[in-house]
Amino acid sequence: MKRIFTYMIVLAGLLAAGGCSKWLDVKPYDKIAEDELLLTEEGYMKLLNGIYIELNRDMLYGASLSVEMIEIMGGAYTVGTDNSVWGNYRDLAEYQYGTQYWRARMNETWNKAYSLILNCNMLLENIESDRKLFTEDNYRMVKGEALALRAMLHFDMLRLFGPVYSRNPQQKSIPYYKAYSVTPNDVLPASEVASEITHDLLEARILLANDPVREEGTMMESPSDGSSNFLRYRSLRLNYYAVSALLARSALYFGDKEAAYEYAMEVIKSGAFPFVDRALVTGSPDDPDRIFSSEVIFALSHSQRNTLFKNYYDPSRIPNYVFRMDNDLMSNVVFGGGAATGGNQDDYRYRVNWVATGANRYFYKYSDMNDTGNIRNTMIPMIRLGEMYLIAAECQSEDIAGGTAYVNALRSNRGVTNVPELTKEILQYEYIRELYGEGQLFFMYKRMFTPVMFSSQPSKNPQPDERIFVVPLPDSETEN
Amino acid sequence: MAIVHMAGQGKNVVLKGKVIDSMDGYPLIGVSVIAAGQGAYTDVDGNYQISIPDVKCEVTFTYVGYEDEVKVYTTKNASAFSKIVMYMNATELEDVVVTGVYERKKESFTGASATFKADQLKSVGNNNVLQSLKTLDPSFKMMESTQFGSNPNMMPDIEIRGKTSVMGLKEEYGTDPNQPLFILDGFETTLETIMNLNMNRVASVTILKDAASTAIYGSKASNGVVVIETKAPARGRLQLSYKGDFGLSLADLSDYNLMNAREKLQFETLAGVYKDNSGNPFNQIRLDNLRNERLKEIERGVDTYWLSEPIRPGFTHKHNIYAEGGEDKIRYGIGLSYGDVDGVMKGSDRQTIEGNVDLIYRTGKFQFSNKLTIDYVKTADPTVSFAEYAYANPYYRKYGADGKVSRYLYYPEEGLEDFPVSNPLWNASLNSWARTGSFGFTNNFILEWFMTDALRARAKFGLTRADDDEQSRISPLHTRFDDMGETEKGLYTNTRVNQMVYEGDASITFGKLFADKHMVNAVGGFNFSSNRQQIYGYSANGFTDDQFDAPSFANGYPVSEKPEYKESLKRAVSFYVNGGYVYDDRYLMDFNYRLDGASMFGTGNRFRNTWSVGAGWNIHKESFMEGNDFFSFMKLRGSVGNPGNQNFSAYQAFSTYKFNGWMTNIFGTGVILNALGNTELAWQETVNYDLGADLTFWGERINLTFDYYWKDTDPLLAVITTPGSMGVTSIAMNAGRQKTQGWETTFRISPIYRPSEGINWNISFNATSSKSRYADIGNSFSALNESGKTSLVGTTRYYDGGSPTAIWAVRSAGIDPATGQELFIKKDGTYSFTYDVNDEVVVGDMQPKVEGLFGTSLYLKGFTAGCYIRYRWGGQVFNTSLFQKVENIGTEDVYNNQDKRALYDRWSEDNREAYFKGISMVQKTEKSSRFVMDDNALIGESFNIGYEFPDRMIRRMRISALNVQLTMTDMFRATSVRVERGIDYPFARSVTMAVGITF
Repeated sequence: MKRIFTYMIVLAGLLAAGGCSKWLDVKPYDKIAEDELLLTEEGYMKLLNGIYIELNRDMLYGASLSVEMIEIMGGAYTVGTDNSVWGNYRDLAEYQYGTQYWRARMNETWNKAYSLILNCNMLLENIESDRKLFTEDNYRMVKGEALALRAMLHFDMLRLFGPVYSRNPQQKSIPYYKAYSVTPNDVLPASEVASEITHDLLEARILLANDPVREEGTMMESPSDGSSNFLRYRSLRLNYYAVSALLARSALYFGDKEAAYEYAMEVIKSGAFPFVDRALVTGSPDDPDRIFSSEVIFALSHSQRNTLFKNYYDPSRIPNYVFRMDNDLMSNVVFGGGAATGGNQDDYRYRVNWVATGANRYFYKYSDMNDTGNIRNTMIPMIRLGEMYLIAAECQSEDIAGGTAYVNALRSNRGVTNVPELTKEILQYEYIRELYGEGQLFFMYKRMFTPVMFSSQPSKNPQPDERIFVVPLPDSETEN
Repeated sequence: MAIVHMAGQGKNVVLKGKVIDSMDGYPLIGVSVIAAGQGAYTDVDGNYQISIPDVKCEVTFTYVGYEDEVKVYTTKNASAFSKIVMYMNATELEDVVVTGVYERKKESFTGASATFKADQLKSVGNNNVLQSLKTLDPSFKMMESTQFGSNPNMMPDIEIRGKTSVMGLKEEYGTDPNQPLFILDGFETTLETIMNLNMNRVASVTILKDAASTAIYGSKASNGVVVIETKAPARGRLQLSYKGDFGLSLADLSDYNLMNAREKLQFETLAGVYKDNSGNPFNQIRLDNLRNERLKEIERGVDTYWLSEPIRPGFTHKHNIYAEGGEDKIRYGIGLSYGDVDGVMKGSDRQTIEGNVDLIYRTGKFQFSNKLTIDYVKTADPTVSFAEYAYANPYYRKYGADGKVSRYLYYPEEGLEDFPVSNPLWNASLNSWARTGSFGFTNNFILEWFMTDALRARAKFGLTRADDDEQSRISPLHTRFDDMGETEKGLYTNTRVNQMVYEGDASITFGKLFADKHMVNAVGGFNFSSNRQQIYGYSANGFTDDQFDAPSFANGYPVSEKPEYKESLKRAVSFYVNGGYVYDDRYLMDFNYRLDGASMFGTGNRFRNTWSVGAGWNIHKESFMEGNDFFSFMKLRGSVGNPGNQNFSAYQAFSTYKFNGWMTNIFGTGVILNALGNTELAWQETVNYDLGADLTFWGERINLTFDYYWKDTDPLLAVITTPGSMGVTSIAMNAGRQKTQGWETTFRISPIYRPSEGINWNISFNATSSKSRYADIGNSFSALNESGKTSLVGTTRYYDGGSPTAIWAVRSAGIDPATGQELFIKKDGTYSFTYDVNDEVVVGDMQPKVEGLFGTSLYLKGFTAGCYIRYRWGGQVFNTSLFQKVENIGTEDVYNNQDKRALYDRWSEDNREAYFKGISMVQKTEKSSRFVMDDNALIGESFNIGYEFPDRMIRRMRISALNVQLTMTDMFRATSVRVERGIDYPFARSVTMAVGITF
């Protein structure tokens, strides 16, 4: 008996000395513990992919920042006055950000974007010590993409909630999160956020230097041997060129035209994103490649992408609103108006994406191709080649007319004749033609500080104003 | 030591030895030793000497408060009598503090604690231990639930000496962070177990309040500790006892002040229910008709009192049979309890079956004891809440023209945008139910080794398994499914909770008196525990029939619902040391140290130290007090320590991830962050100071205890809402601190005190008071403050310097007689008709200035009587009944029955001096001081009479003890404010008769 006691005391001592900390290290079973997830390179890849998937949420690029909220703000759609049909969209078209509904919506978008930034930071924080887990160049790939995602999300929040950068670069804008933190970060002046974004993108670009996209292109099909897709389907990830393209876009937004030109040209010259095959557009009028998929530098992959069409653009949508361009704007300016606007109904972008039903034409960019299993039917374009040409045109020199050739190079691949001389207006119309329904128009007007083109009649277009272009920070940010 | 003599021809033997206390080795003075007709007593050193014939015989040692020690003299074992160890009687531990880890004499303990014996607990109530504790100790508070009233299946919120954690966060943690620690027979247990425990099994309850007494429980102790010891089987021949409780409870509806039919119709008319606003003349005709129809019904005498429908007299019966016996080596006890508590609402029921086996085996220096308990609890709850009956209008008939319960009280004509009113009686008549079955198994094993007189080792291991099965079903005919498709009607839900807990402990206890003056006690040990909980749940819908209710008849699962599964595992280890030193019975010192590690805390903060020191002075033992007969006990004591709190959820320190299962892509699956952990999360700890005095004087007739304490909880641990840019909207954080100070006192006087004649009359009075405030919280809770400001009735705010119980609202100057509008007082003292939430100030405090009980008890030759009355003074309450049921009656609420006051004392052009605004459906009333009222109360908490039958009356019936007692609880209630209580379930008054028979 005494011996048993002695044993127990010894056992207790042993437990105490060595096992305690280990025994207290409890792993949850109904959730995934961080240190169990990040034990392998696959764990990191799953986390990275999880972030890409979440970008498809409605409050981000699944609707709000691609086809819905941001495009209303960008004047893309004609919004009726009947509240029973148009609900809260009327308020947004009038830039009434203070309504309860839009405050809540902006809050959702903000919270989701920053929650994904936190995911990037959790990944980036852990990956340094786990470098040895990765094979080949995967450490650099994962880290590079995560940094680029973090920069991209911050950039879009800055474009939405920040000041009109060209006018007030020093104005307080948004916080920039570079690490997981239990205390809130300060709201920074826009210029500081800009340098953080640029810094992250540059670092990502260095890390992605060996991205296979540079040698082998986008590789938009699965390998025949059934091996991993991780280094394939590059235009569904923030690849090397996508980072360059983001640098071009952000440099232009931050007023550094020289850099913007350099990065845009790098992407253009790479040849990794060839112009869409004419045969896929005019050759198959019943089943065209409406998003010009080969030109997409980076796209999200949304398994139910046709809901974008069905929820917002489908003319058979009942009973409420259908999003479409103002008829007059379309026929007299964007896809009409001849040399003065560059608008022409031969434009592929008109022929494949605007389909007539009754008296109106409806937007079909997000309607599915017949081949149901096709990866193209899942793509939500985030940045594309056409924008690179437009950036190059705007940035080649101080004189915008000098960029005529770049715009014409793009136009020749859209089946339309050259414009004689590029003007700021024609450039804007070209943006509308090229990037309609992709969530970029509002940011273009905000950058250029010009009226938002809802209509062909200038009097109906809201004049540039901070009140229109600067969305107030969400409640959750200011109240806590 | 013992010497055997040969004396003359009759062979006699002299047994000699010393009798000591098992606990601390102190000699016991005046122990009577009886053998073979001879008797002797121990002297001041505990020594005795007795001369007996040298033949085999039993030697019995008896001493008040101790178990009899019987040893057999075999003529050869005289040396075994050199040292006799006596054990304190567990049921008579009046002067001992049981901490669950060690025991100490009250006289030599520096902590603040209170111990209550079984008969004290039973004398104030038979419901459960906690109910009685509330009446006996002012610092032990059981929060009254306005929402759930006297629902027997609702666990109360309990606190000792106030809250130490931020309120309103119970849901976030799952466990109430203010709940004290419960220790049952040395093992940690749950509130539910204590509530289920049959009171007749309880031997004593000790409440540990200050740092010196609780610090041995380290980081679980900051809310205080309740230590419950169950009875140990007594030695002797087999004894059978029966205890029975028979009770009746009746709903207390006196707080309801609802309108009758005529008043309600008048109110609706004034509120404009029967006035068309659309300008449609046909609608006005319809409304006129509707009103006339109702008026006709009232003229016919319809005035339904709905509140009486769901209630009933609730009968309670509980039985406990216990058989015990044994001899020196083995003692045993076997018990069986059954209890059936019918709540005062129909369909409310709680049944408990409990079996227990207690075994103690002693051999040489070892003692094994094992307590096994198995219980099964079955509960049922009504599916229609009491509130629905309170809403029903009195001008509706319960039954339709056919004499049956109608489905609707009112059903609008086709094409009207009016809502039907369902009949609560109809919904209650359906085959809907909510039931729970819980099975529990607990086995606690203790092994003790008495190494030497001074040294004892103990090992404990306890195992608890609990399985709960909650099921509920709502019939498809329930009116809430009216708008749903046939395949979606009806709802069945099932939740299972499995819990597995084990706890082990090894300790060594030392106690020795050195040089007659230095008493040294020490305990050191190691403890580990683990608690795993799993929750499974699912629901099913689409039932087509009322009668057949098996889940197999469901059509499917509700759309987009998935099975629930949650699991949490908490583990803790600790090392502890306690030491006590007493010099010459006069100067006392205690210290505690405990090192705790718990899995809930981040790797950066996994371990935590708890310490406490206490000191005391027994003034009555000083030489200058010698010869003073007036004071028999006078002690001053003080303590300080830093117990902690770990009543927090299992994984808040760790980041966890989940699959984003809503979509996959060509790259496969993805995961994202599920919850952001805070690895730097620090334990919540409370530095606790206590100064106290215990006095007994005037020949033991007056007993006084006084304690002053202050506590500083730093840091607080709370779930804080964060700016969205942090990526999460809330996180568990350390934020700010809470400071509390208070005092409590108990006073007892016995004007008549003649124990020898069996006559004793006591008057007791106790009081408690405390005040808390927040500090250093800054803006951490601004989101809670903002949501409180915009919420309908929230009056709690979190500001530095503010009290957790303060009521925040805008001051009101009353209703302006001229306009009928409310006049507000702004922060700067000016008056305004405009309500501005930023003018909020503290307009009251829910914490009473003083609260306690006074009572009296009489003991007269077997007859007992007692009464205890609770008083509460100096607090305020925000009267939600006035706020929501008098004013603020919205467009929808107007169709519910309302408080009578909604009709009277309303402003109108004829009644300009009214307290309440004019009757209106659209006018919103804001939270103002007009609804803050003084909350002073007198509550008749417990009345009892009892009788213990004298021996001579019952001996013929072969009964060794028989007693009966009648207890009445909550018999009256006088309050300065009239608020509806018992919204979902009414409060009850109850009468219980207890019978105890021992054969």
